[in-house]
Amino acid sequence: MDDLLADFLTETNESLAELDLALVRLERTPDDAPTLSLIFRLVHTIKGTCGFLGLPRLEHVAHAAENVLVKVRDGVLAVTPDGISTVLFGIDRIKEIVAGLAVSGSEPAGDDTTLVAALNALAEGRAAPAAPPTPAAPPAPVPVPPPVPAQAAAPIAAAPEPAAEPADAAPAEAPVAGQTIRVGVDVLEDLMTLVSELVLTRNQLLQLARNQEDSGFSVPLQRLSHITSDLQEGVMKTRMQPIGNAWNKLPRLVRDLARELDKRIELVQHGAETELDRQVLELIKDPLTHMVRNSADHGLETPAERRAAGKPETGRITLNAFHEGGHIIIEVADDGRGLPVDRIRAKVLTRGLATEAELAGMTDAQVHRFIFRAGFSTAAVVTAVSGRGVGMDVVKTNIERIGGTIDLKSAAGQGTTFLVKIPLTLAIVSALIVQAGRERFAIPQISVVELVRAAGIGGAAAADRTESRIERINGTPVLRLRDRLLPLVSLAGLLRLEQDTGAQEASQCIVVTQVGASMLGIIVDRVFDTEEIVVKPVAPILRHITMFSGNTILGDGSVIMILDPNGIARANGIAGSESRVAETAPPTTVAQSEQRIAMLLFRAGGSSPKAVPLSLVARLEDIERDRIEISAGQPVVQYRGRLMPLVPLSGTLDTAKERQAVLVFNDVDQRLGRDRCMGLVVDEILDVVEDRLKVELSGDRPGLLGTAVVAGRATDVIDTAYWLTQATQDWFRAGQKSGGARAPQLLVVEDSDFFRNLLVPALSAEGYEVTACDSAGRALRLREAGVTFDAVVSDIEMPEMDGLQFVRTLRAGGAWAGLPVIALSGRVSAAEMAAGRGAGFTDYVGKFDRAALLASLRQCLGEAVHAS
Amino acid sequence: MALAANRARTCLVVDDSRVVRKVARRILEGNGFAVREAADGSEALTSCRASLPDCVLLDWNMPVMNGIEFLKALRQEFGPSPPVVFCTTETEMSFVEQAIACGAQEFIMKPFDDEILLGKFGQVGLL
Repeated sequence: MDDLLADFLTETNESLAELDLALVRLERTPDDAPTLSLIFRLVHTIKGTCGFLGLPRLEHVAHAAENVLVKVRDGVLAVTPDGISTVLFGIDRIKEIVAGLAVSGSEPAGDDTTLVAALNALAEGRAAPAAPPTPAAPPAPVPVPPPVPAQAAAPIAAAPEPAAEPADAAPAEAPVAGQTIRVGVDVLEDLMTLVSELVLTRNQLLQLARNQEDSGFSVPLQRLSHITSDLQEGVMKTRMQPIGNAWNKLPRLVRDLARELDKRIELVQHGAETELDRQVLELIKDPLTHMVRNSADHGLETPAERRAAGKPETGRITLNAFHEGGHIIIEVADDGRGLPVDRIRAKVLTRGLATEAELAGMTDAQVHRFIFRAGFSTAAVVTAVSGRGVGMDVVKTNIERIGGTIDLKSAAGQGTTFLVKIPLTLAIVSALIVQAGRERFAIPQISVVELVRAAGIGGAAAADRTESRIERINGTPVLRLRDRLLPLVSLAGLLRLEQDTGAQEASQCIVVTQVGASMLGIIVDRVFDTEEIVVKPVAPILRHITMFSGNTILGDGSVIMILDPNGIARANGIAGSESRVAETAPPTTVAQSEQRIAMLLFRAGGSSPKAVPLSLVARLEDIERDRIEISAGQPVVQYRGRLMPLVPLSGTLDTAKERQAVLVFNDVDQRLGRDRCMGLVVDEILDVVEDRLKVELSGDRPGLLGTAVVAGRATDVIDTAYWLTQATQDWFRAGQKSGGARAPQLLVVEDSDFFRNLLVPALSAEGYEVTACDSAGRALRLREAGVTFDAVVSDIEMPEMDGLQFVRTLRAGGAWAGLPVIALSGRVSAAEMAAGRGAGFTDYVGKFDRAALLASLRQCLGEAVHAS
Repeated sequence: MALAANRARTCLVVDDSRVVRKVARRILEGNGFAVREAADGSEALTSCRASLPDCVLLDWNMPVMNGIEFLKALRQEFGPSPPVVFCTTETEMSFVEQAIACGAQEFIMKPFDDEILLGKFGQVGLL
């Protein structure tokens, strides 16, 4: 391509970028004279220059646009949004032609008559057509003017070509102002590659020198090292560009979107001067554009909606960029409606990305992150703006590809903020060198959060000394680190490396890494130093192994792999499930689901919190020390007109405390026919949370059902029936003694260990003789074996045969056909109950409503007695 | 050819477009001129203060300091000597009249080619 044309393209593209910004600015402040004259000058320059190159189409359009601007400048024409739009269409057309010019070296064919007519109409003060002129892309139906007038081409042809060049490239007499020169990008790329190699060689030399004491090389080597570092920094600087370059197109984009969507949007930019590597800049341009597009389209409301919500009509999109460590943080924030959690949940279900039960266990923040999943778009109608087949998943993938992370924060009614963290450069990164087995690996520093030395699973002695230790939940190793459970993966195990025998120590090194929005601990054998490493792409043969993001050469010449924590998390299947364990569920009410129950968290001796289902607790009390009396060696308190026994959960009552926190359990004593209550004394009441309850049974400690992860912490779940029995054992014994008649025989069918263990002791304490089965099938086998019961209590939701099927089978005939059968269910709704009774259940009670169950049993058994 | 005689002459090309400056440079250097460039009036003035050129090819519409402003400053500071050829795309004669009134010797319309440019330069006695 003629270098004059190349110059023209560079110059015109710069002008066009500036024009977009200036026109949007003019629309906001129509009487901004400097902006107006800038716009005029830029269009004028484009028009003036294209004459030299013989570009009639460009000249034609630019001339028409300039005519409009002359009128505006002279005050004949007022600045209107429609007018600006028409001029912007003109600018767009110029861009199209320039783009075509860049590809083919000549103006693309096209018809500009409509556009030029619109511009002329505008200039003459006639109403401009509201609709955009048809795009010029299709081949021109109208004869195109001859491409190059001979007259205009002449100077180029006549010019002496190469001879003039050296003088041109470095004009010695050039004025001092603005000393910049243009250098091809490939030259900079080559420089960067060379510097990378130099850094490697330097590292190698340093390594060699370290092994040779007092060689004459050490001083010059030091100098070489410093110079190399300076050179590296200098070359990096040549590649740095302000992020504002990637933002230039956004004001225009936002302006057009606002018009298209009938919204009012203000775009605010902070930190546009923040610099980053141009390669990175190129790669984040599209993701950024998409995020802004998303904010404008999905995030911000219409002016009417905003008014109704008591917000200013003009929505705001804020871009913010700043440096932090070796990274750049970019925020894209809007003050719109926030992410629609319900719609996301619904979409997740219809797309099958998660089950209802899984969703129920997730926090809003976790649900929000589904928008990063492939094929996800919540817009009810796919709009022209966002529905372009590019989702946030692509944004996330692109950002992760350059070693960055993306996360979001969203609050209903307040807006959404996307947080992007990316490295300043891709070529040379700071990395932590670790060892697993006999191999060394590099972990990019950007993803390293902290290093932890933790006691191993077997190292019980060490566990007492260190704050953190490795535990197992469902067979998965986790690290209890401060208030979080962190999933762990052993690098040696994952890569099936030969374990170094010396590495099997009581404590282990854990590299805590950031994987997307969650954390992952990587267990390694040794941690070395951080090093500046030169990233080399992975050989194609290894590229499908996503655990590696590249490789590098260390100072000693060895080639090592660079780990990608994202890939490791995926390889270990952790990415999706981790945060559920590690995150604290906020105490919010969600739709009733049997999987989630409200738990009361409290402390009572020991370090880990304890929990009890809230529905079992009648009341929370704070009782003064003075009110507590001792009766028959047991602490009691006068409570609501009678004596309530108090049971300290930790074993002893701390008499030094002014007040005692007490959980009151209320119960109906069947045999004495009156209410009884008991107070469980605890140290401190912590919180009420809603969470799914999955109890790992321990059974080795009396009074504890086992351990569960509640709100992200390992929590002891107490067995209320046990404590109730403790407090009221005299009554219990009395009941057993006085009950001369045969105790009623109950069959409990319940698949959940937790509920079985909750029910059986409670019912036993009431004087029933209880047999428990974990499935309907087993219960039916008992029937076949001829075992008899007085009543059956059955869960509804069970695998294989559910409660409804079970009761239908019973009612169909056999020895148990006439037995009272009480349904236990987490879902108590009118419809459910009707369905239950229709299937043959005698009664239908909620799972935690023990009083109702006991009342129901009493009634059923009474009726059964009457009937017989 | 008058090439040898013109060898020492310098021309200051003042235009905010790199393309226009390059076109002018090719034509003028091909005809024995030494060419200096300035991207606006202010740069041009600095350049003149460093060393006065033999002639100036001056654009009108430029950032920072436009052609007319430069022309006024040039004439005020250095008097009537280096001849100035005023260059514009404006068809309105008012700009040209203004430039002539401020001390420009000739005017030329964009786009120009070597024939037109050299013709104008000849008219002001530069060739």
